[in-house]
Amino acid sequence: MVTLAFWLLFVSGVTAFTLQVATRVRLIAVAPNTFSLADLPFRVKRFVLDVVLQRRTIRERPAAGAMHALVFWGFVAFAGYTTVEFLFGLGIADLTRAGWFEAYRRALVPFAAAVLVGILYLLVRRAFVRPVGLGDRVSVESIVIALFIATLMITFLLTFRLDEGTTAERANWWVHMSVILAFMALIPASKHFHLVVSPVTVFLKSPELGNLPNLDFEKEQVGLETVKDLGSKMRLDAFTCVECGRCQVNCPAWGAGKALNPKKIVLQTQRALLAGRHETKLGEIYSEEVLWQCTTCGACENQCPVGIEHLPILIGSRRGLVSNGDAPGYLGAMYNNLERRSNIWGLGYDQRTKFVQSAGLETFDPAKHDVLVWLGCAGSFDADFQKSLRSLFSILRAKRVAFGVLAKERCNGDPAKRTGNEYMYQELANGNIEDLKAAGVRKIVTSCPHCVKTIGADYAKFGYNVEIVHSSVFVEELLRDAKEREASAERREIVTYHDPCYLGRYGGTVDEPRALLTRFGADIREPERNRDNPYCCGAGGGLLFADKEEEPGSRISDVRFRQLRATGANTVVTACPFCSIMLKGAQASAGAETQLVDLMTFVDGKLKTLA
Amino acid sequence: MILVVAEQRDGRLNRTTWETIAAAQELAGLTSAPIAILVPGANVGSVASELAAARVKEVVTVEHAALEPYTPDGFTAALQDAVGQVGPSHVLLPHTYQTRDFAPKLAARLDRALVTDVTALKAVGGAPAFVRPMFQGKLTADVVPQGPTPHFVTFQIGAYRVDKALKGASPAPIRPLGVKVDATAIREKPEPPFQQAKQAVDLSQAERIVSVGRGIKEQANIEIAKKLAEALDAEIAASRPICDAGWLPMERQVGSSGQTVAPKLYLALGISGAIQHLVGMKGSNTVVAINKDADAPIFEIADYGIVGDLFEIVPAIIEAVKGQ
Repeated sequence: MVTLAFWLLFVSGVTAFTLQVATRVRLIAVAPNTFSLADLPFRVKRFVLDVVLQRRTIRERPAAGAMHALVFWGFVAFAGYTTVEFLFGLGIADLTRAGWFEAYRRALVPFAAAVLVGILYLLVRRAFVRPVGLGDRVSVESIVIALFIATLMITFLLTFRLDEGTTAERANWWVHMSVILAFMALIPASKHFHLVVSPVTVFLKSPELGNLPNLDFEKEQVGLETVKDLGSKMRLDAFTCVECGRCQVNCPAWGAGKALNPKKIVLQTQRALLAGRHETKLGEIYSEEVLWQCTTCGACENQCPVGIEHLPILIGSRRGLVSNGDAPGYLGAMYNNLERRSNIWGLGYDQRTKFVQSAGLETFDPAKHDVLVWLGCAGSFDADFQKSLRSLFSILRAKRVAFGVLAKERCNGDPAKRTGNEYMYQELANGNIEDLKAAGVRKIVTSCPHCVKTIGADYAKFGYNVEIVHSSVFVEELLRDAKEREASAERREIVTYHDPCYLGRYGGTVDEPRALLTRFGADIREPERNRDNPYCCGAGGGLLFADKEEEPGSRISDVRFRQLRATGANTVVTACPFCSIMLKGAQASAGAETQLVDLMTFVDGKLKTLA
Repeated sequence: MILVVAEQRDGRLNRTTWETIAAAQELAGLTSAPIAILVPGANVGSVASELAAARVKEVVTVEHAALEPYTPDGFTAALQDAVGQVGPSHVLLPHTYQTRDFAPKLAARLDRALVTDVTALKAVGGAPAFVRPMFQGKLTADVVPQGPTPHFVTFQIGAYRVDKALKGASPAPIRPLGVKVDATAIREKPEPPFQQAKQAVDLSQAERIVSVGRGIKEQANIEIAKKLAEALDAEIAASRPICDAGWLPMERQVGSSGQTVAPKLYLALGISGAIQHLVGMKGSNTVVAINKDADAPIFEIADYGIVGDLFEIVPAIIEAVKGQ
């Protein structure tokens, strides 16, 4: 009789769970398949770090993350116990008398205590401390779930105090088991569904940040237009979101008071899918204005602890908009420049030739030169950035590196790709690949992090693989055996270093620039948001050209400049021409005396003065 | 006969018509054909008398209620009839948006050659050749239209100067010409024209611009630049930091995130010349830069550069301009 009653309870709990999960599985199954298992070793390693060891959960929020880890490990530890109790309750097998079970049960006591501490900490944080990333309203459902978990632990611990066979003991058992089943019925529709799916989502997350497979125009792919175009991984992401808000608080657009909030994008996807709005345009789901506010810095995706990829949705939707002619006006002007002159500024190529001649650069010849120096749009035309390139050339010449440049370059296509103009990107990329192959290039050095990412990772999707390194990496190695320029402590120059997103976050190049700075007499004052999680300068994703970038909210570049200035350093060193443009603009607007120096100029200057 | 098709709206002449008349007079020098100006519209009397001042054989008015407002169907029908009656060797039009809209249709209807966006005339083997840009202006082609006349030619705006059009000693005769237009066959139903709220300041049309950068140092110093602008009859503009600081309104910002300008004279005061500013004014005819930093990138594109203190130089320029 008791067993039958438990069976009824069990079946209703499991049915409620299954039905809700089935809805979500169906929505994922009908989607265009975007799952991939490429690079398994990396995925396994990341699974161990991010799921088992909770790296991403702990890294950014050490206290809350550690408490979460206690709860997580506790849950895993309890899996066997829960199974045995269910088998017993359902009358299938009674393993509760086994000797090992008693030992297992006792071993669980510290885990239960840890979960209890963890969940109470998280409960207080969510209900009373209320960090901004968790949203404006206290989630009642989260409070209920937290109380459920606490109840589970308390009822478990009580089993050691209650005598077997008593009514109190039986009631305690029923409370424990009912809470588990209620929990099951509750989680699929809540953010606690991440318990079930996030290990899968983390495993399926692309190894590459901001992975955007090329569109196949032969198959008439035009990007994401309506909800039904959202791929299977994007849908899984939407159901995985735990609403922790790491994406939100790390987003530079949100930080500058703009409407874009990456967490909202994920939740809007979830709602649209469940509401069956398959034919609704994505511009209506997310708002077009919001889609154009993304700098593609990648902070949201990189900080997400449950494996969500925001960039494929944001840039995929931009592709859909651009395919329908719905790009903002400032991008139209930039696209014209790319189409007519193959560079973002729309300047004539004679100006690049003038610079190449005045800097005494040779046309690349594989028989003569070790490396190709890729100038990029900034290096080809921006007189200001050309100063930094002259510094790079001077270092290379001093170390007798034989280098050349291409007779002609096109923009690498980054501004087109990140703003969703895939057709133009592929035209530029294919043209460059042809030229690089024809020139017999094997190794490229460039001072532009966007060129590193695009020519390196994105061109590989066309089957073109070339070694490309940022000048900071190349020069750091080149000057490694140089005499240490360690100045005495009081003579060290106080600087702060701004990590470009495409170098620090996308490229993982964070140590080389710092090593160079320290080697050449700098005392680095780290700003908030640095290394592989910098705060964007505001130039990425085509926003360098935005005319109304200041509305709504403030300029991202102004926010970043304030952060850099707060270090107290009077010199800001950076290693990206576009960061430099944005930060110089912010510096001028702030009327600050702060100096902005490119890394190569800093190193070359010190090489000459300290020599 | 060379036929110039005038463009007017609501009785107001589009001045590019005079440019086309200048081109027609040059063509007449090559072919010795007389020139007639055709004025299509609903009520074109005053425009016709204005054009009668040109040194041409005659002005022909083509008035029909169906020609106002403009529709491509109405114009094609009326001009097909009119061109048939006049029987010219060439039909010349200004390369306006309106011409671009109907001229291909008209030429195709008559199965005649059309040469567009012409910038100059030449004689090639005795025949007139029309010079037009190709491949985004990288090449120019000399086009000699073939086949039966009339040949249709449209002229790029600004290729000929209005003041080069010769005036006659006495007004040319005005002759009305009747045309048949089937109003029911006009498929387009235009709505009243509207103009998008224009920016209060349209720097793109300015002939001279005095532009201010961070080198101006203080808001109060903007006055010096304004005085220079007044003396030169120039518009005042600025780079981003000045507008960000609110020293000048946002609409006066020049650059990739502001307006793109192409004046005859661009005077850059204390502007370092960051690339995003340069791309907004690179089309300027003559750039004069004043900056105390000799390494400032603005000097890379300046035609005239003065390295020095703008607070000394600008008053001197104002004095010199006023002294003229």
